[in-house]
Amino acid sequence: MDEKKPVQQDDGIRWYSYVALLFAIVFFSGVLSTSKEWYSVFDFTVLNGSFGKIAAATGKALTFRGAGGNGAQDGFAFALSLLPAVIFALGVVNVVEGLGGLKAAQKLLSPLLRPLLGIPGACGLGMIASYQSTDAGAGMIKAMYNEGIINDDEKTIFAMYQFSGDGTITNFFSSGAALFSILVTPIILPFGLIMIFKFFGANLMRLYLKYEHKKNGSKEAA
Amino acid sequence: MGEQAKKKNIIDLFIEGCRKGWNTGISNMMPNVIMAFILIKALNVTGLLKLLGSVFAPVMALWGLPGEAVTVLVSAFMSMGGAIGAAAGLLGSNVLNAKDVTVLMPAIYLMGSMVQYLGRCLGTAEVNSKYYGIMVGIAILNALLAMWVMKILIVMF
Repeated sequence: MDEKKPVQQDDGIRWYSYVALLFAIVFFSGVLSTSKEWYSVFDFTVLNGSFGKIAAATGKALTFRGAGGNGAQDGFAFALSLLPAVIFALGVVNVVEGLGGLKAAQKLLSPLLRPLLGIPGACGLGMIASYQSTDAGAGMIKAMYNEGIINDDEKTIFAMYQFSGDGTITNFFSSGAALFSILVTPIILPFGLIMIFKFFGANLMRLYLKYEHKKNGSKEAA
Repeated sequence: MGEQAKKKNIIDLFIEGCRKGWNTGISNMMPNVIMAFILIKALNVTGLLKLLGSVFAPVMALWGLPGEAVTVLVSAFMSMGGAIGAAAGLLGSNVLNAKDVTVLMPAIYLMGSMVQYLGRCLGTAEVNSKYYGIMVGIAILNALLAMWVMKILIVMF
């Protein structure tokens, strides 16, 4: 099926797609955040910076959010203080996506889908799509099922994979960016954990379906 | 870097992404955060937060969290953004500390927005509705287990 030309020719994946992917992983990992060297420039938290401090009557330096606020007003001030991180994070995600970084991730993931989830490698696209948009990911499950690429069981397993922690990248790097500066671990750690548990949950579903078929006299789904 | 994509260069991509960030920030994150802060305030005013805190203290202690942390998980079930807001609100009133929030972080997403995603994910994908219960169960289990792993990992930092 493959053309004589390099396969990367038409899928939008270039060498820099892998660089972009690697860059994103390092950038959000926080591994360089504590470095005092120039290369700490490749860290999200470092570049995100901090708000200026305002001296309070108590002698404590506060950000514009102040201290002791509550209710909707404090919620507004807090949300406002989160905006720079959200804007910045999605800016970077968009660059990585635009350079084909997510497609590169898809390409690396596809051969792993059968062993890891028991679903065809073709699901890679739907998987990457679901990281960005719940609706796009779910739409692709339905389309693949309708085209006969996945069967009923694979559809259920894939849906379970997406369902827990859906829209992963978009959600984590928008609302989650709010708490990036508070986290006591590198940003990538909770994110990586979410990614791992998505696979774990889908495999529980896979086991459950196996168990169910056994119980029903091994009647396989068509 | 310094690489030019054919259609859009890196600067265009970045600015476009930032604009997306502003839009989601203002139209999704902020309303969710404000709602969560109002909820926390209401729970505070009525004394329900204290009550929730003491009722759920033994359960949440399994993860080394104060009982009030349950409000974050319940909010997560409805909306991820709301849960982030709830966590921030509780952090602001010193009910939760930075470590607690870090432990809660993966759970907020793994069991996040279930109410919405039943329709938007499982509904759209036309998953047999007899599986809905177990799928929600697995997502919650994911979240609870992830909090334990997070708690263990935190020790390294």
